[in-house]
Amino acid sequence: MADENDIKELVIARIKAAPEGVGVSFGGQDGLSKDELIKHIEANDEIGRKIIEVQMNFLTSLKEGRLYE
Amino acid sequence: MSKVLITRPEFDYPTRYISAWAKKIVELVNKKGNALDLPREKSNRKLVESMLKKHNPSLVFFNGHGGKDCVMGQDNEVLVKAGQNEAMLTDKIVYSLSCGSAAILGPASVNSGARAYIGYKRDFALMYDENKRTRCHEDKLAELFLGPSNQVMVSLLKGHTVHEAHISAKNSFKKNIRKLLTSTSSPHSVCVPYLLWDLQAFIVVGDSAAKYN
Repeated sequence: MADENDIKELVIARIKAAPEGVGVSFGGQDGLSKDELIKHIEANDEIGRKIIEVQMNFLTSLKEGRLYE
Repeated sequence: MSKVLITRPEFDYPTRYISAWAKKIVELVNKKGNALDLPREKSNRKLVESMLKKHNPSLVFFNGHGGKDCVMGQDNEVLVKAGQNEAMLTDKIVYSLSCGSAAILGPASVNSGARAYIGYKRDFALMYDENKRTRCHEDKLAELFLGPSNQVMVSLLKGHTVHEAHISAKNSFKKNIRKLLTSTSSPHSVCVPYLLWDLQAFIVVGDSAAKYN
């Protein structure tokens, strides 16, 4: 079972792999850049935790074959 | 056809985007001449309540930020909140493109007499191309999210049931996910976790057999 730091590192690596110039709006935020997303994750604040939840939800769904439900 | 009320606040990038894409629905509705369009400052509680009372639209399309128990308008003014004024939505079909409002406001509206409430039970994620922010309606990245969203309204306006509109929009989300997962070169594949998040949050409360007419 991965610990919290492993998960954070995994999510940050996934975000770093994204192209530049993509904005993410989530939960009332006014568009976050890649660097801002990473800062929120490193700070472990509410937005950072939500981004981790989104990414982990995808990986879990992929693993369990629930992508198209 | 009955009138359609559409709120379109615009004061930050997310609301600029959803407003620009909701304008396509305004134009579609106006082919038959019955959109009650409330852009920017017109997306305020006083005007929304007045329009609902005066024109009694049978279909309402909220765009903007939101919370589990509310939808908001210009500058995040609360337009409808559970426990306050959800009875304004009695006899209406509602589609709300906002974060989380289907969790509490949806069931509260239906308990107060709304026919059906389509929306998202948790935060709605949107991604966009920062180089397209001044031409939101041309942004292919945002289209992956807002195209499926608009499909709800397109389907309802064609006379399909709430259930059919929901399925049609879900299929549109799934089609985008599938396309990105099977592409070896799309720079947009980073969207998949966010599209899946939206798909899984997208629900209907109330009468799935209801139709706009």
